[in-house]
Amino acid sequence: MLSNLNLAKSDTFFWDEKRGVIRTRKGGWIPGEAVYCHGFDMMENLVGQASYFQVLVLNATGRLPERRLADWLEAYFVCNSYPDARIWCNQVGSLFGTIRATPVSAISAGILASDSKMYGPGTIQAGVKFFVDAMAKKRGGISVEEIVLSCQRGPRAKPVILGYARPVANGDERIEAMERVTKKLGFEHGEHLSLAFDIEEIMLEKTKEQMNALAYVLPFLCDQGFSVQEIYCLLAALVYAGVIACYAEAADQPPESFFPLHCEDIDYQGKPPRPVPA
Amino acid sequence: MTTRKNQVRKRDMSFANRTMTKIWQEIPSEQNPYLAEACRCHGYDILELAQKRSFSEVLFLLFQGELPTPEQARMLEFLFVSMINPGPRHPATRAAMNAGVGKTTPAHILPIGLNALGSEYLGGQEVEAAIRFFRKNLRDSPNALVAECLKGERPHKGDWHIVPGFGSRFGEIDPMPLKIIALLRTKGSGQAISWGCSFAEALKPYGMGWLSTGVVAAVLSDLGFLPQTGAGLFQLICAPGILAHGLELTNKPISAMPFLDEEHYVIEPESRKK
Repeated sequence: MLSNLNLAKSDTFFWDEKRGVIRTRKGGWIPGEAVYCHGFDMMENLVGQASYFQVLVLNATGRLPERRLADWLEAYFVCNSYPDARIWCNQVGSLFGTIRATPVSAISAGILASDSKMYGPGTIQAGVKFFVDAMAKKRGGISVEEIVLSCQRGPRAKPVILGYARPVANGDERIEAMERVTKKLGFEHGEHLSLAFDIEEIMLEKTKEQMNALAYVLPFLCDQGFSVQEIYCLLAALVYAGVIACYAEAADQPPESFFPLHCEDIDYQGKPPRPVPA
Repeated sequence: MTTRKNQVRKRDMSFANRTMTKIWQEIPSEQNPYLAEACRCHGYDILELAQKRSFSEVLFLLFQGELPTPEQARMLEFLFVSMINPGPRHPATRAAMNAGVGKTTPAHILPIGLNALGSEYLGGQEVEAAIRFFRKNLRDSPNALVAECLKGERPHKGDWHIVPGFGSRFGEIDPMPLKIIALLRTKGSGQAISWGCSFAEALKPYGMGWLSTGVVAAVLSDLGFLPQTGAGLFQLICAPGILAHGLELTNKPISAMPFLDEEHYVIEPESRKK
């Protein structure tokens, strides 16, 4: 394939070994033979037998989960499919629709917008780190109250913990819904999720802030043995259905008719008019 | 398992009635309030700017609120030209090229490449982190800091970005950023560039030095750009090269790029069949 000519004098063996070749433990397509996927023949063993979310978990982690865990994950995706064009990532979808961008670009952009420090998949890494660290502290004998108080940003400040505050509202309707799903599918509260509820009790007492879906879902997935990177991968496209709802509605209307703005609808607070210096 | 009661309450928050900006003013047409009769950028009429100023000067104005000095304009212009193309081997460019040869809608090529270029490694997030690194450490001794950083754990395999913007590339010092920084120093050098050169010199015995992300971060830092502008500006600077490479392949057959045969696409035996 590639020339073996190597003029570099440096030790580049690590990269040379990988040049011109892809080695994979994931799988691939051998035309005329099979599509291999983590040891399964995709067409024979997965299609029609495993759910899409089972295959999503398999591809992200290399492990085929039991059906009920994939169903639980799918329920959480439904929980994040609000067709509300005021929500930041969804409005991105609407704006793409009103100028006739493609649905694929709208979904991609909406998902990117949700990779946020305030909500959506962008909160996952810090959220999981908190629960993993908190669990380690609890196992080390530190009380839940001490764990909460360690999240104060000053001696008199209220503790601030990702997952125990939510933009626009206090409380989260998704938790009750997911609790029903958890129960229906026969899952118990594991040690991370139990800790999350214990933290909520202290947070309610000290800040009146309830847990949000993040503080329910991340500990649950930690209890199921997923790593932070695996959870980030699994939940990456969480908002996709909400974005597409808003895109579809705006794309169905005349162009530039979604939430149009007068010039004066923008509040200019900058410098007054001035000449360009020579 | 306890049954949880729904206790969702909307917060008593006030949101702005109108979106605020200090950057851009649109003067409405008398006949139609949706149309702008004139546009001003930080107070300057955009059409007057278009006649009197360069692209990089107006870009500086957009982000900083004032026009640059001639020296600042030269530095920014030099950065834009010298870093215009990450090259066809950079993963971000390759993502654009893959999309191009795969016949995506041409409008998607640039966003695809720029998304990749937002990365933590050799991408925009590294530029942002490197600007923060300069701001935090410019008063410290580069030699002492290198000695401290070397105590960190070197990756067992591959390169080491010992701090954002500095490290090795394919096992040694990348020569191109070094040449760019040398030329930049002839145009006037700010604190971050000077300090970065001392830091890179101290790293040299360990096979590490400036990375392209470090160079961009140093220039942006010296020009007064805030860290959070670093990722996006790096994407903007590299955008022309990424787009050009992606578009170059859109009208070519899919055979114009490698599609490895089975001999070179090796599926590990355990992944073939359980």
